[in-house]
Amino acid sequence: MKSLIEVAEEQQAMQSVLGLTSVFEGLASMRIAQVKDQVLSSQHFFNELWNIYSKIRVNKEFSYGRNDQDKVIEKNLFIVITAEGGFSGDIDQKLINWMVDQYDSKAQDLVIVGHHGALQLTQLGVPFKRYFKLPVHDSNINVGPLINLVKQYRSTTVFYQTYVTLMVQDIKKIELHRAIEQASKDADKDSEIISEENYIFEPSAQGVASHMESTMLQITLTQTILDSKLAQYASRFRSMRSASEKADDTNKLLKMEYNRTKRFIADERLKEVVNGLRKAEQAL
Amino acid sequence: MAGEKKESTEDNQSLHVKVASPFRVYFDEPALSISGVNKTGPFDVLPGHHNFITLLDACVLNIRTPNEERKIRINGGVMHVKADMANVFLDV
Repeated sequence: MKSLIEVAEEQQAMQSVLGLTSVFEGLASMRIAQVKDQVLSSQHFFNELWNIYSKIRVNKEFSYGRNDQDKVIEKNLFIVITAEGGFSGDIDQKLINWMVDQYDSKAQDLVIVGHHGALQLTQLGVPFKRYFKLPVHDSNINVGPLINLVKQYRSTTVFYQTYVTLMVQDIKKIELHRAIEQASKDADKDSEIISEENYIFEPSAQGVASHMESTMLQITLTQTILDSKLAQYASRFRSMRSASEKADDTNKLLKMEYNRTKRFIADERLKEVVNGLRKAEQAL
Repeated sequence: MAGEKKESTEDNQSLHVKVASPFRVYFDEPALSISGVNKTGPFDVLPGHHNFITLLDACVLNIRTPNEERKIRINGGVMHVKADMANVFLDV
């Protein structure tokens, strides 16, 4: 049996684990709320921008902010967004395996975001064209280098983790132009046409529309990264909640063990006293 | 806010200015004018300005209100002016 001091030390250590996991759980929950607010705010901005853009680009397809003379690589670009490190569970593994099943190096080029995914691809022996770190901060995410790549390719597909609920995260893929169409479905529909007849453009309608396309691409990619981070925070929250519950259970068991050990020691002392008294009686 | 916007267009002495990035609104109030810089140089937008869309260069936006002058440093963006409403969409 453990000594009383050993049990007390274990109980104290478990109390620290419980405190720490509760703090991490709280942090993850706070970040989830912050990221959700950011996604909502960026969606409102996107809708306002789309509302103007759609009136300039009447009956024209989204051209990824490219100029007519820009050369396009006749391949599909795969962007895979994974976690930067631990606490991500097996969801990255699922995402990578799902992507690898669809990957054909002749038809697609691969860009990986997040160290965890890059590591798994290297282990699988799948080469990737570029690697980017997953941004640490949730605001001012610089997706410029990714946008520059996106503009060079015929089309782009993004593979990422998505937040369903706090307890459920899933993996998803989306073609970028479809993501933009989807994001624009909530924008106000209005029949006005913006042209050089009723507006002054600086430098030109084409220049403004291309710039807006770039901005909307950036917002959509940023939202995808944020969604991925949201799923990661939720996953972390879930792990911390489970660790916290386990620590709480262990702490209760240790408390029982502590009391049992204390009672055992008291009983032993009582036995010794009774035995001592008996021996004293026999001696008399 | 909607009441203020209506008032501003009716008296024709102020315009409503909104400066926002995807994640933050920097200014959203009536103003007397807004000044910025585009490829052709510095320009001002006053109440009654013609419909106008311009790309903005990196500059300091100067927004004049009846009480103060607000300066907002930007890296670029798009300005849309219509019916005494000036919306500035800052770059991500």
